[in-house]
Amino acid sequence: MSEEPILRLDGLTKDFGGQAALSEVSFSVERGEYVALLGPSGAGKTTLLRTIAGFETPSRGKIFLSGQDVTRAPVHQRGIGFVFQNFALFPHLTVMNNVAFGIRNGVNRLPEAEVRTRALEAIDLVGLKGLEGRNIGQISGGQKQRVALARTLVIRPKLVLLDEPLGALDANLRLRMRAELRRIREQLGIPFLHVTGSEIEALAMGDRLIVLDQGRIGQFGTPAEVYNRPASANVARFLNRYNVFEGALEGQAFASQYGRFPYGVRMAGQKPAYAVRYDRVVVKETGAAAQGPALRANYVASEYLGAAIMNFFETDDGKVVEVEHHLSNGPPTIFAPGRAYDLTWKPDDGIVFG
Amino acid sequence: MTPSQAAVEKVTNEPSQNGSASTYVLIAPAVVWMTLFLVVPMAMIIYVSFWTQTTFKIEPTLTLDSWQTFFASDTYINSLWTTVRIWLIVLVTTFIIGYPTALFVGLFVKNKTLQTALLVLCVIPFWTSFLIRVLAWRPMLGKEGAINIILQKAGIIHQPIEALLFTDLSVVIGMTQIYVVFMVGPIAFMLGRIDPNIIEAARDLGADFWRILRKIILPLSLPGVVVGAIFVSVMVLGEFATSAALSGRKVNLLGNIIVTEVGSLKWALASVVGVILTVIMGLVIAGLLRVVDLKKEL
Amino acid sequence: MESRILKPILAVYVALFLLFLYGPFIVLGILSFQQGPEGGPQFPIIEWSVFWYKHILGLAPPSRVSPLPIGISLFRSVTLAGMTMVTSTVLGVMSAQAFRRNFRGKTAAFYLIVLGMIVPGILVGLGSALVATTTGIERHWWSTAFATHVVYTLPFAFLVMLAIFNRFDASVEEASWSLGVSPITTFRKVTFPLIFPGVLSAMLFAFTLSYDEFARTLFSSGREQTLPLAIYATFTVEIHPNVFAFGVLTTLFSFALLTVYAILMSLSIRRAKRAAIQEAIE
Repeated sequence: MSEEPILRLDGLTKDFGGQAALSEVSFSVERGEYVALLGPSGAGKTTLLRTIAGFETPSRGKIFLSGQDVTRAPVHQRGIGFVFQNFALFPHLTVMNNVAFGIRNGVNRLPEAEVRTRALEAIDLVGLKGLEGRNIGQISGGQKQRVALARTLVIRPKLVLLDEPLGALDANLRLRMRAELRRIREQLGIPFLHVTGSEIEALAMGDRLIVLDQGRIGQFGTPAEVYNRPASANVARFLNRYNVFEGALEGQAFASQYGRFPYGVRMAGQKPAYAVRYDRVVVKETGAAAQGPALRANYVASEYLGAAIMNFFETDDGKVVEVEHHLSNGPPTIFAPGRAYDLTWKPDDGIVFG
Repeated sequence: MTPSQAAVEKVTNEPSQNGSASTYVLIAPAVVWMTLFLVVPMAMIIYVSFWTQTTFKIEPTLTLDSWQTFFASDTYINSLWTTVRIWLIVLVTTFIIGYPTALFVGLFVKNKTLQTALLVLCVIPFWTSFLIRVLAWRPMLGKEGAINIILQKAGIIHQPIEALLFTDLSVVIGMTQIYVVFMVGPIAFMLGRIDPNIIEAARDLGADFWRILRKIILPLSLPGVVVGAIFVSVMVLGEFATSAALSGRKVNLLGNIIVTEVGSLKWALASVVGVILTVIMGLVIAGLLRVVDLKKEL
Repeated sequence: MESRILKPILAVYVALFLLFLYGPFIVLGILSFQQGPEGGPQFPIIEWSVFWYKHILGLAPPSRVSPLPIGISLFRSVTLAGMTMVTSTVLGVMSAQAFRRNFRGKTAAFYLIVLGMIVPGILVGLGSALVATTTGIERHWWSTAFATHVVYTLPFAFLVMLAIFNRFDASVEEASWSLGVSPITTFRKVTFPLIFPGVLSAMLFAFTLSYDEFARTLFSSGREQTLPLAIYATFTVEIHPNVFAFGVLTTLFSFALLTVYAILMSLSIRRAKRAAIQEAIE
C-alpha cells in the first residue's frame, strides 16, 4: 500500500515584482525522508522553503501536507516546523521557555505538567541537558542551534524545514552538527527538508537531493544519481565537481573549441555542453599518446585538500580546468608551473548535454 | 538582484506583503481620530472665515466682510509683517547661534557618551514648564534685571539698557533661547553622520578649515538645517505666549491676534487670521522642503 | 580638523551657549528664594527665604498674594496627560504595526498622522473651539482638550514606534507562528515584550508633551483650567516669585519622572536583550 507523501508541491510559482522567483516547482517528500535542497544563491531555495512554511503566499500552484491542501492555510495551522538560519530564538526567554513555547502557547497546547516533561525530553535529545535555566544570551552558537532544533521538534511537526541551519556555525562545529542532525532525525523519523548552499553538505546529508536552478528544479535524485549523472550543465557546474565545456553536438562527438570529445553518457534536451569529473582527468606530458579526448593546458597551481590534491590548469585562452588527484591512488605528481601538459580522460567518463 | 534575493531582503523589514483586512483595522482608528479632530477643525477655520459676524455670534451666511476688515486695517497688516519679520529673525538667529554648538557636538566630540550627555544637557531646560521659562526672562531683561546688573557691575555699561525688555528684541531673545535646541538637534545628528574620512581626505588635499566648512560640512548638514528650520518655523509662527509675556502687548503676532479676537468672540476674524497663518506656514514648509529632497537624504 | 585651535574655541562657545540656555532657569532658581510676601520677581534679593515654597504648599500665612490654583488644575493636567499618554500610545503602536505592510493610502495616512505635529497648537485649538461652538458641544478638558492633545502626541508616539519596528527582526515572530502560536498570541508574548522599551519612550513623550501643553488647551478646555492655563492666567496680572518656586518644583518633578523612566528602561532593556532589536543578523 503506497502511503501519501508528507509533502507534495504542484506547480508552485512565485512572482516577485514581475520576475519569477519560483517556476512550476513540483515534487514530493515521502515519510521519513531527508531531502536536501541545493542551489546557488538567488536560485530560490529560501523562497521555496518560506512558501512551503506559509511565510509567503504562492502566485500559482498548490501545497499538500499529508494529502490536505494547505496552500491558503495560515502559518500557525500548518504543523510545519521551521529552523531559521539565525536561530530566531526568543531573546527574552530562557532555554526552557524557548523550547516549551510552542506546546505552551500553540494551537495544540498541553497542560503545564506535560509541557515541562516534553520540553525537558527535547532538551535532552539535542544534548543540552542541564542548560534549561540559561538565558539565550549566555549560550554559544552551537548550543543556540540545538535550542532552535529542540523548540521545533517538541511540537511533533509533520515536517521540519531547515533554512541553512549550519550556515552560522564555524567549520568544525558544522561537521559535528551535521552528524548530530542526522542522528536526531533518525531517532524521531520526522522528514526534514534542508536548504543548503553547500553541495558537500547536501551530498552528505540527504537521502535525496533537489537542485534548484533559477527557480526551477534542475534535478531531483539520490546523491549518487546527481553526482554521477548531473541532469544539466548548470547542475554539473554547481556541484563543483565537473569541468564544463561549451560547444555543439556533432554526430558521435562533441565539438568544443579545444577539439572533438567523444562521450559516454548523453543527457538529452539541454543546452549543449560537455562535462567530465575533476577526478577522472589524467595529466600526461605533451606528446604522449592520447587515448581519447585530450586538451592542452598550462599548469598554474595546486591546492591541498587533505585527502586529495586539486591541480589547476589554464588553457591558452584562459579557461580553468581542474584536475583532482585522490591521494589514495598514489603519491601526487609535481608539475612545473607554466609548462604545458595534455589532459585526457576516458570517453566513457564524458557526459554530453544536448 | 534576483527575485529570490529580493525575497530574502524582506527579512530586513522592507514591507513586501500587502495588507489584509486586519491592517486596515489597525490603521483605521488613528485615521478617523486625525480626520475628526484635526482635519475637520482646520476645515472649519477656513469655512468660518467666510461667515458673517454679528456682535457676539456668527452665522453661516457667507461673506467677505471679515477678510476685508483684516486687510483694511493697519494694525492687522502690521501684525502680519511683524510675524514674518520675527520669524525670519528668529530663524536666522537660531541658525547662527545653534550651528557652532551642533558643529561641536556633532563633529568635534568623538565620544558617543559625551555627545549624548551634551544633548541631554540641552534638553533639560525643557523640563521646566514652557510658560515659566518664558516668564523667567522678565527678571533677566528688565531695567533692574540680571543682565543689566551684571553688565553694570562689570563696568561695560553705565546706564541700564532699556531696550532689553518689552521690545522686539526681548521677544527675539526669548524665542531664540527656547527654540534654538530644535536647530541644534537635527544639525548635530546630520553632522554626526559625516564620514570623518572625507574631511581627512580634504585636509590631505590641502583644504583649509573654511573651505572644508563651505564645501563639505555645510552641504552635508543641509538636511538637518532644513528639518531644524521646519521645527523652528512651525513653532515661531504659532507663537503668542512669548510675545505676550515679554513685549507687553507691543509686539503683536498673528497668534496674539487670534487669542484676542477669540477672547472677544470675534470668531470670523480669528478664522481669517488662522487661514492666513496656515497659508504662510504652508508656503514656508513647502519652500524649505524644496531646498533638500528630505526623503533621499534621511 | 584643525582641532588644536578650533576645538577649544568651540568648547568655550558651547559653554556660553549652555549658559544662555540655562540662564533663565538659574535666575528663576535664585529668585524663588526671594523674600515674601513683599518681595517681587526681580532683583535684588531683599532677603533669602523659603517663603514662596511654603506658599506653594499652602503652608504660608495668608497674604495679599493669592495662591496659585495648583491643586485641582494639577490634578486635571496629570489626568489629562495620563489619558493622552495611553490613547496616543495605543493608537501609535497599532498604526506602526499597520505600517509594517503595504496598503492602499499608506502615504496619505502617514502625512495625515504627521500633520498633527506640524500644525501649531493655536490653530488646532481655534479649529476645535469653532467646531464646539457651532455644533453646541461643550468644551471640557476631558473631552475636547483631550481629543486635541491626542492629535498632537499621536504623531510622536507613531514615529517612535515606526523607528522601533524598523529595527525589529521579524524572524522571531515567524518562528512563533511556525510553532503553532496564533498571530495575536505571538504579539502578546513575543512582539510586545520586545518593543516595550519603545512603547515606554512613546508613553513618556506623550505624557510630557500633554502635561505642558497649553496652546491647544487654551481654547478647548472650557472653563476648568489645566495647570499651564492657570499659570498663563497669571501672565496678565502681577507675577510673584511663587511662580518661580513652582517652576523649580516642577523641574524637580520632571527630573524625578525621568529618573523613574530611565530605571524602567534599563530594566526592560536588560530583559529584552538587544538581540532582537539589532539591525544586523549575526
